[in-house]
Amino acid sequence: MMTAWHFLKHLNCTPTLQLLRSSSFSLNRYSSSLFFLSIHTTAPDQWPPRPQFKNSHANSSTPSLAVQSMASPVPAPANYVSVLLRCNKDISDMLAEALLSFGASSVTMNEDDVCPGTDEICVSSIFLEGEDINTSISHAADSIGLKEIPRYEVKILEENDWMKGAQELFHPVEVTEGLWVVPKWITPPDSQAMNIVLNPGLAFGTGDHPTTKLCLLLLHDCIKGGEHILDYGTGTGILAIAALKFGASFAVGVDIDSQAIASASQNATLNNIGPDKLQLHLIASQTLSSSRDDWPFSVVEGENASEMETVTHKDKYDVVVANILLNPLLNLADQIIFSAKPGAMIGLSGILSEQVENVLQKYSPFLEGIEVSKMDDWACVSGRKRMNIDIC
Amino acid sequence: MAAKEILTRRPVAATIKLTVPAGGARPAPPVGPALGQYRLNLMAFCKDFNARTQKYKPETPMAVSITAFKDNTFEFTVKSPSVTWYLKKAAGIESGSGRPGHVTASTLSLKHVYEIAKVKQNDHYLQNMSLEAITKSIIGTANSMGIQIVRNLD
Repeated sequence: MMTAWHFLKHLNCTPTLQLLRSSSFSLNRYSSSLFFLSIHTTAPDQWPPRPQFKNSHANSSTPSLAVQSMASPVPAPANYVSVLLRCNKDISDMLAEALLSFGASSVTMNEDDVCPGTDEICVSSIFLEGEDINTSISHAADSIGLKEIPRYEVKILEENDWMKGAQELFHPVEVTEGLWVVPKWITPPDSQAMNIVLNPGLAFGTGDHPTTKLCLLLLHDCIKGGEHILDYGTGTGILAIAALKFGASFAVGVDIDSQAIASASQNATLNNIGPDKLQLHLIASQTLSSSRDDWPFSVVEGENASEMETVTHKDKYDVVVANILLNPLLNLADQIIFSAKPGAMIGLSGILSEQVENVLQKYSPFLEGIEVSKMDDWACVSGRKRMNIDIC
Repeated sequence: MAAKEILTRRPVAATIKLTVPAGGARPAPPVGPALGQYRLNLMAFCKDFNARTQKYKPETPMAVSITAFKDNTFEFTVKSPSVTWYLKKAAGIESGSGRPGHVTASTLSLKHVYEIAKVKQNDHYLQNMSLEAITKSIIGTANSMGIQIVRNLD
């Protein structure tokens, strides 16, 4: 006979968990049409930043449908549920797998939660909204042959709990002599150094990761002053901002993640960089199955076409840096090369050492003076765009 | 050698298991809450996981097991979905046959099996198995699910 015994903590009513809305906009369904928005945050100290979207070309009389549907309000923070179960040590692994199959978002076994004097350990499991926890747990228990549903406690946790924890990890990093990346809430260890101040939020790029360091070093070496930079996959904007600090005159940062654009926008302000020096653009992600004929900016009609050209105008950039992932680097190769002037420096990272060959295979027809720099397991491939290549 | 390894092994805080789509780790659920509670570097995990799963078809649900150490560092292993998952997906069915051997749930070609074998060979724990051995194993699993494997599908 199944006896279920559980008690609910921290709840004063029957839980109807808020609809979990993804805090980043999913742009994949718009991959066949490209649109650009410039993001301006008016409250730099608000966290998480709530970007207000504006159509950057207000003179178009019929804003595209995609822009209108992007103007929905940013969702409220989501809650999730943490369930603490006790079970026998022997079956904890099996139970973990079963819980994952029956709706748990993650399962954690804490080393310190071994209940003394018994063979039981505590297993905690996170469920997102919409899951019927009791059903999930009873199915999971059933599937591994447990006679009874394990006892469990439920706690409702907030998004901010884990977000804050994630942000606390950011500490000042000296990338190279005289160049620091410093969190906004910490005084720079060396006030005389070039300090890039960041509030990364949930975007990538704090100066800590080997790929960021490799790209920063590349930019540091190749920027002489006055260059135009394109930062593909800008994240926190760290590379674009660094490039400007090194002496570049203008930078454009693009990303498929609205969180990134929001973070980069805030960071530009933190470093006293205005829209005359740095422009940020949210772009639709290209789906992997698309072929050359599906270039985002070849499918766009009407007013949007000129927006595309502003950002990735042929031969516009002196330096193009892309710290993303292997597949996008391969799929976007034509666009990346296209956007660079002949002789421009191109830096490609976000790749593991074992992936360098793939990148070289794709890019070596277009680059000369290729160098590969490595740090830990990561690599950066760089080279200059060959002078006489036609890409149509 | 072994003694030294034990001495320098970092103390483990927890083991975290979750499923993350290949190339799709983001600082949001399920990754955010699961790793955030142990103060693990979310962005580093996402970057690392996404880079290491580039060879899998995007959105393939990868089984991840993270060992969180007490000093907030971590290691993780990644496994591709089970063979049964791939077979069901290839066959376009929700579940195997209720009576395998008697009732066929669906039919797949050797080519399907070969494709699955190639993906599974990426899994670290299968790297020492030959493609042929993996293929045979998959055919066995298919049969136990009531999925028939034929040379060619017309």
